[in-house]
Amino acid sequence: MSVNYITDEVKAVIGAESEAIEAYHAVEPSEVRRFHHATMDPARRYWDGEWAKKSRYGGLVAPPAFPVHAFRRAPDAPDPLDQMSDPDFDGRSRRMRPGLPPVEVPLVRLLNGGYDYEFFRYARQGERIFLKSRFKDIYQRDGKTGTMVFVVIEDFYSNERGESLLKTTNTLILR
Amino acid sequence: MKGPVFEDVVVGQEIPTVVKGPMTTAHIMRWSSAMENWHRIHYDRQYATEHDKLPDVLVNGSWKQHVVVQLLTDWVGETGWLWKVSFQFRGMNVPGDTLTAWGRVAKQEERGPYGVVDLAIGLKHQQGDEGTPGAASVVLPRRNGPAVPYPFDPGMLGRAKA
Repeated sequence: MSVNYITDEVKAVIGAESEAIEAYHAVEPSEVRRFHHATMDPARRYWDGEWAKKSRYGGLVAPPAFPVHAFRRAPDAPDPLDQMSDPDFDGRSRRMRPGLPPVEVPLVRLLNGGYDYEFFRYARQGERIFLKSRFKDIYQRDGKTGTMVFVVIEDFYSNERGESLLKTTNTLILR
Repeated sequence: MKGPVFEDVVVGQEIPTVVKGPMTTAHIMRWSSAMENWHRIHYDRQYATEHDKLPDVLVNGSWKQHVVVQLLTDWVGETGWLWKVSFQFRGMNVPGDTLTAWGRVAKQEERGPYGVVDLAIGLKHQQGDEGTPGAASVVLPRRNGPAVPYPFDPGMLGRAKA
């Protein structure tokens, strides 16, 4: 018999929705540059201002799924590296989204299972990004390596004018 | 910069691949540090192999997703729109892997004055193993049709034929 990880406490967070959380800083050109360098995507819309001005975007933009990574640590937020002396700490917070409660499951390994994206517009450089998240589902399945818990999160990203950027569904796996 | 028009596309067509690699620990570090991702499995080999029982440090799934996105935005160019993409991270990738993002047209459909093309997509490593299977839908202009509007609103597509 497998362990039941979907306790009443876990069930209680299914459907939980966050308020719109604002990314700590606006989309920075240097942040976009490091992103497209690391993904080795040289598209002009990310860096060629003259070209971008005349394009359909009207100015420089960030890569399509950039907003997913835009929620950086605020200067006064706790340092995640403070926990690194714990040999079991994997470096990731169990708080899966800034505005959602933690999922209290005693499994230590976390993997990204996949994404489902729908794009409406690209974030402009200098724009502010807002995120609303919701726990769509949390369930467990028995796999080859034991019981795994799947956390399905819906995210909706917009800019400061309330214009939709993208919608995502992300599946995180605890095992 | 101009992408294909709907009429140029045929079911079964392979779109141009995007190849990355061989991936090294430096590529993984560059991405992790740009994203401030401190997940140990991407830079601490001992933790990855002994604690998490992985074959090596892993190429970030968060990085792979943007390669799949690039495959599609490169293909549709500045005249089409990558509307939807989904994928599952099933296979692990480690330093030494060369990854090829690929796409094959599965279906095409006229929607209002535009065309919607569905594709099967993935990210294979050098031995041909598929580690990131998925699907995508892109919107293309029709020949002599109006430009695909930006920003994109799926409501402009019109109803799919039953």
